[in-house]
Amino acid sequence: MHRMIFSLILSGIFCLTCATLAAAAGEEIYQLQTGFKLAPAIIMVALLAVYVGVGFLSKVSNTSGYWVAGQGIGKLGNGAAIASDWMSAASFMGVAGLLYLKGWFGLGYIIGWTGGYVLLLCLIAAQLRRFGKYTIPEFLGDRYNSHGVRLIAASVTVIIAITYSTAQFKGIGLICGWIFGMSYQASVFFAAGVVCLYMLISGMAGVTRNQQIQYVVLISAFLLPLWFLMNKAGGHSYLPQLEYGKIISNLMEGKVAASAGGVLDAEATAELKRAYLPWGKGDFYHFIALVFTLMVGTAGLPHIMIRFYTVKNEDVARKSVLWGLFFIGLLYWSSPVYAALGKFWNPTGGKEVADMIILSAPEKAGLPTAFIGYLASGALAAGLSTVAGLLVAGASAIAHDFYATVLRPDCTDREALAVGRLATAGLCIVVIGFALYPLALIAQIVAMAFAIAGNTIFPVVVLGIWYSKSNKYGALAGMSFGLGMTLLAMLGWAAKIEIFSGSGILPATSSALLVCPLAFLINIIVSNIMHDKLDEESADCADELLRKIHNLPGYGDQTEQPKTKAFEH
Amino acid sequence: MAEKQRVNVNFFAPSTDSMKAEVTVARTIIVFWFVLSYCLPVFIWLAGLGDPNGLGESFLTQTRFLGFPLHYWLLAQGCTLGYILLCKLYCILWDKLVVHLHGK
Repeated sequence: MHRMIFSLILSGIFCLTCATLAAAAGEEIYQLQTGFKLAPAIIMVALLAVYVGVGFLSKVSNTSGYWVAGQGIGKLGNGAAIASDWMSAASFMGVAGLLYLKGWFGLGYIIGWTGGYVLLLCLIAAQLRRFGKYTIPEFLGDRYNSHGVRLIAASVTVIIAITYSTAQFKGIGLICGWIFGMSYQASVFFAAGVVCLYMLISGMAGVTRNQQIQYVVLISAFLLPLWFLMNKAGGHSYLPQLEYGKIISNLMEGKVAASAGGVLDAEATAELKRAYLPWGKGDFYHFIALVFTLMVGTAGLPHIMIRFYTVKNEDVARKSVLWGLFFIGLLYWSSPVYAALGKFWNPTGGKEVADMIILSAPEKAGLPTAFIGYLASGALAAGLSTVAGLLVAGASAIAHDFYATVLRPDCTDREALAVGRLATAGLCIVVIGFALYPLALIAQIVAMAFAIAGNTIFPVVVLGIWYSKSNKYGALAGMSFGLGMTLLAMLGWAAKIEIFSGSGILPATSSALLVCPLAFLINIIVSNIMHDKLDEESADCADELLRKIHNLPGYGDQTEQPKTKAFEH
Repeated sequence: MAEKQRVNVNFFAPSTDSMKAEVTVARTIIVFWFVLSYCLPVFIWLAGLGDPNGLGESFLTQTRFLGFPLHYWLLAQGCTLGYILLCKLYCILWDKLVVHLHGK
């Protein structure tokens, strides 16, 4: 424990030093006001103190308390927890940025990220709950009785953690850069330092996150500025989420803020109108592909599935999804307001300003810096807790699934723990590397993580639950295909190959429309071909698990099976 | 060795009563989900086919609803509302069709 604290402090200090050194280079952070801002810095520290402090006050003594933190809480509380887990720098900054840049087309992100919950609820949630274990690699490993399947699932968890964290790091970096007036590269290192310190403080003595209060902190930081902004934009400030419609209608006619010129000329108006017409920023195929990818991705993301175990009562678990979606809806009803107001004050901004639009719109509106600081701190807190959760999940996949289960089954807990710590540090370094030269906008990077989940995890989990003939050979073939194609698309995007770009046939952000159904098909076909080759033990394992998750008669009869002990708890 | 009775689970051919009930609920919701998520964009696409610029301008983009262009409102707020209602419908259907089968 002491060694971990020491190494975390050391790496935190290292990152902060790197940041200060690099800050000497001091280039501009995009188009925002530069320089150190005292008020936002104080607010940031205070908000993080509240955020972590709440966890200290509501600390639970045993480690399993972390997972079942919501046990005594009703559907409303667990709904808030689901929403608080969901809120990251991507939802705070990224969605508004994409809506700003892509107008109507960006709405695909909103319906993709809300509609996915419906799919998850229908196909996976209830059955997976009855399985009673926490991680997707465990579920798949038991269902298919195969180390190979388990390892691929664990690798996917790690890759998703890296991709997702990269996007969060970009967000945290941009915010730190704005508050402390550093260059982007410097602030990424600074952000890494902040992340390490956050993980150190919140990881000490088993602090749990009190997600209900954290949700309130986050959502209030996001919503409150809207009333002021709407007021400045000439609205009545009654309900910004309904009032911004008029602003969008005006934008389509070229009417913008007086400070941005009042009424735009014909060319600029046409450009603005284009953004808000359906296919101005992307065609029909890409819209459907994006929506589909984000939906299957949401339903296949490991850290979202886990949330169904946070309440013991199955009835409450179902209803809490309803509330969770409602609380997430509040966020997504508000992101477009920021985007629309951003257009209103800065109609011609491009990619450089997109990810910072939630800060830049208030700044252009002349909102006090302290107020924007509150907003920025909310986004920072959302990003930090997401990164901390993801790094821990990724590291535990390495330590638990790779090392302790497959590589060295006889290792001690102590060794596994050490591997876990090393893995956390390793992941952190990899993420910094990617974040220094981000591939795309925040929401786009996150969408790639969703593509991975949708192409690999979603098909194999759905078939694992709903198709008893699916076996380990089919699972391996389907997962390898899904993962391979998604990574290929991501590499292709990075190498700027046409068919993998935003306008190609297989964009990295929305590859699942083509790849996911194929992965289903491959899984089914290979499973049927290899049906006779399947050994008895694997078939028994699958049967036992299926009996359990579908409440079939005969569960627990075959006590001579070695695997059955895994089902008792 | 005698062939052991294997478990047979198939989404399109549910075997037990409780599985049938669960699949019925899931199917109903998925149909609505599909209409909301895909038929709506298709509708906007079909309506906008007449636009010579290929941008999809149509009566949907010209109509105003609560101040919004209708095509914008439908996706930005209509869909989100629809999904929340679908979750509610799921809970109602599940309570009605499935819960009594589990003896709870």
